[in-house]
Amino acid sequence: MKDGHYIKLTAVYFFAGLVMIYASYILPKWLPGDFVTAMYSDSNVTLTVEQEAQIRACCTGKEGLSRYLINLLSLKWGYSYALLTPVSDLILEALPWTLLLFGGAHAASMLLGFIFGVEAAWRRGGWVEKISVGCMTIIEGVPEICTGVVLLIIFALFLGWFPASGGETAYAVQSTVNRILDVGHHLVLPLVTLVLAYFPGNFLLTRGSMVMVLKEQFVQTARAKGLPPARVRYAHAARNALLPMFTRFGLRIAFMVTGVLVVETIYSYPGMGTLLFKAIGVRDLPLIQGIVLFSSLAVLFVNLAMEFLYGMIDPRVRYAH
Amino acid sequence: MRRLKPILLYVLSACLIIFISITPASSQIREIRIGDSRGDWGYPNPFRHYPRGPGYIRMSWVFDTLIWKDQNGYIPALAQSWSFDEESLCFIFKLNQEARWHDNTPLTSEDVVFTIEYFKKHPYRWITIDHIDRASAEGLYSVRIYLSKPYSAFIPDIGGTMPIIPKHIWESVETPETYNDPKAFTGSGPYVFRDFNKAKGIYLYEAFTDYYQGRPKADRLIYIRSGKPMISLQTGEVAIANIKPNMAASLKEKGMIVIKDERGWNKKLMINHKKPPFNNRNFRHAMAYAINRQEIIDKSHLGFGTPASCGLLSIDHEMYNPETPSYPHDARKAVKIIESLGYTRGDDGYFEKDGRPLTVELLSSDITVAGERVADRDGEVIKKQLEHIGISMNLVNMEQATTDSRVKNWEFDIAISGHGGISGDPRILNEMISSRYGAGSVNSARYDINPELNRLMEAQMLEMDQQKRKKIVYRIQELYAVDLPAISLYYPDSMAAYNPARGICWFYTKGGISKGIPIPQNKMSLIK
Repeated sequence: MKDGHYIKLTAVYFFAGLVMIYASYILPKWLPGDFVTAMYSDSNVTLTVEQEAQIRACCTGKEGLSRYLINLLSLKWGYSYALLTPVSDLILEALPWTLLLFGGAHAASMLLGFIFGVEAAWRRGGWVEKISVGCMTIIEGVPEICTGVVLLIIFALFLGWFPASGGETAYAVQSTVNRILDVGHHLVLPLVTLVLAYFPGNFLLTRGSMVMVLKEQFVQTARAKGLPPARVRYAHAARNALLPMFTRFGLRIAFMVTGVLVVETIYSYPGMGTLLFKAIGVRDLPLIQGIVLFSSLAVLFVNLAMEFLYGMIDPRVRYAH
Repeated sequence: MRRLKPILLYVLSACLIIFISITPASSQIREIRIGDSRGDWGYPNPFRHYPRGPGYIRMSWVFDTLIWKDQNGYIPALAQSWSFDEESLCFIFKLNQEARWHDNTPLTSEDVVFTIEYFKKHPYRWITIDHIDRASAEGLYSVRIYLSKPYSAFIPDIGGTMPIIPKHIWESVETPETYNDPKAFTGSGPYVFRDFNKAKGIYLYEAFTDYYQGRPKADRLIYIRSGKPMISLQTGEVAIANIKPNMAASLKEKGMIVIKDERGWNKKLMINHKKPPFNNRNFRHAMAYAINRQEIIDKSHLGFGTPASCGLLSIDHEMYNPETPSYPHDARKAVKIIESLGYTRGDDGYFEKDGRPLTVELLSSDITVAGERVADRDGEVIKKQLEHIGISMNLVNMEQATTDSRVKNWEFDIAISGHGGISGDPRILNEMISSRYGAGSVNSARYDINPELNRLMEAQMLEMDQQKRKKIVYRIQELYAVDLPAISLYYPDSMAAYNPARGICWFYTKGGISKGIPIPQNKMSLIK
């Protein structure tokens, strides 16, 4: 392993981070409209010219880039115009819910997709593989909004098994254990909706990679040695089919905010997607900038971490450098 | 003894059952949950709630006003009685001596005087305080508010909308918008504010047991965010929700009570009357004749709505003018008017003038009604209707904030818009017509070129005699309908449903809550 490669890589990511910071500063400013118009112009309050000018003076985002950077470095992410609350507080309130829903769905769909993909490839040509590939291709094409609404109507409205909205029962007086169960109960429908959206892609990707790997000579050798089939599948073949899945994991982080928005909206699940959506609706510039910056830096950070992990998972990558 | 045992057990059980049945059941409700699809409407105090109906409602549980409204009109609140002295232009309010702040400090006339003085320095934008000369306390429980000039909307504005804030808390606060202390939520209303979770969009209130109008019916009041309030209503997660009118029958079958509001919200067509050809009144008339409002209601809203009066106020308003000029659908008449303006049919069948086609851009977006974003097909129907008479249409669907921004800056031809407040004080006419009153609103026509209209709008605000004011308001509606700087299209049916088993009887407020908020969450529903 050459340290120079990783130093260069880190420098590239650092430069990308600077570009992201600039993008988070400038892009929200290009949105048509402004906070005062979005918040007041069709409200119950009819502002006079003087009142409008007064509000506009403090809510127009005239902050220059240098001030923006200084504030970022001193961890001052500004105040939300609408909620008059620090942006960092709002992000920290929403983030755990996003991580729970998105992270849970991502992990579950990765695990399921990997196992079922490996098993389907192993049974290539059989009816199980043919049916599962057909079904997954169909499910892959069903949008989350459709799955979400169908699940909501069946399991919340008709069967009443799961709640229709929220991340937990609001202000319920209950023990910690009951609260955890309550959070889990609320998580089921949104999580299943997302898993159904992500799982087929993971399944098809793993199956495709695995089919290629199974043709390799080292797999034939492992089989010829009389190793147990499960060991051949997972210890020898599947490990080599893991890299595309790993890459996909990093890329999906980019959808942490926008990817769950539809599901958050259907189930009124708290999270970053809803927070951003509402902030855009009222042109809450500091909050939009904060969320855009946070999510883009998170994507960069995860991808950088994965660059390092690639070498650990697949030594060929390390030797290639 | 063994034989006696079962008999004794039976007798004891019977006694227990009788005891339980004769013990009066507590009528106190543990909690009430209300849901809407947005969730966050700002912190519930006068300086931090959003300038929309749901924001005001959330604040109204915590802060009381001098007077309030129920199903039938104004009722006492912090003021037990009130009167107007015409000679001295003075309103006199006698306060309820039982009223307390949530920290148990008595509420006195000093607090009312302070509120007015404070709002002069730090305006509460829901009200206009310019007409108030001064306020003075007469003893602990009487307040005199002197006007500098007559102000006909004083009762709905100052009496029924202005929240009274505690002097002992706010007198040392210089920047109320950023004042974040828990004391900022000390009010005199039926509920004490406990928490607002911004990420979840949920609110918690607890009953103020010493409330001067009696302990509220529910111990806790909780607002939750629900993407599908109607489903949450049916699953029992919320006690009341706005519903689509076509769901009313099925909800009634399930034992829900469905309530319908008066016509206090209108969808309308904003017109850029500053640019040709829309600056020509006759052209605006032609568009009004070309639009078939009943067809919009039928095709876009399954028939649930009423064609609107071109004078803005609906038939439910006590100052509605039945003689307001109207423009019943008449495509031929619309064509004739346009032809009389020098337009001729081009080869493509659309009108043109001096070789230039008559092309109109129509902006459309999902409009927020009573806190819920409502999607419809109004734009498509209007586009077809105007194309039918020979106007080439370009329908542009955009997000609401973008549409609002373009309308605000006069960068549009025509745009679909909508607003409530039309069942409240007729001051709404001024706000929706004149830029002097409604400069900041995209729903205002901002039409200032008719001197008579301008004069009458001033006059209605100065006329304290309601009968005389009614005549002025009648004339304003006529002139507005003749000049037609914006076209009111229809009043959509507005309904809500609630589960009566929860023990609360919800209702829509006559004239809307405060300035005309069409939401059935009047705090009097929870007061015994």
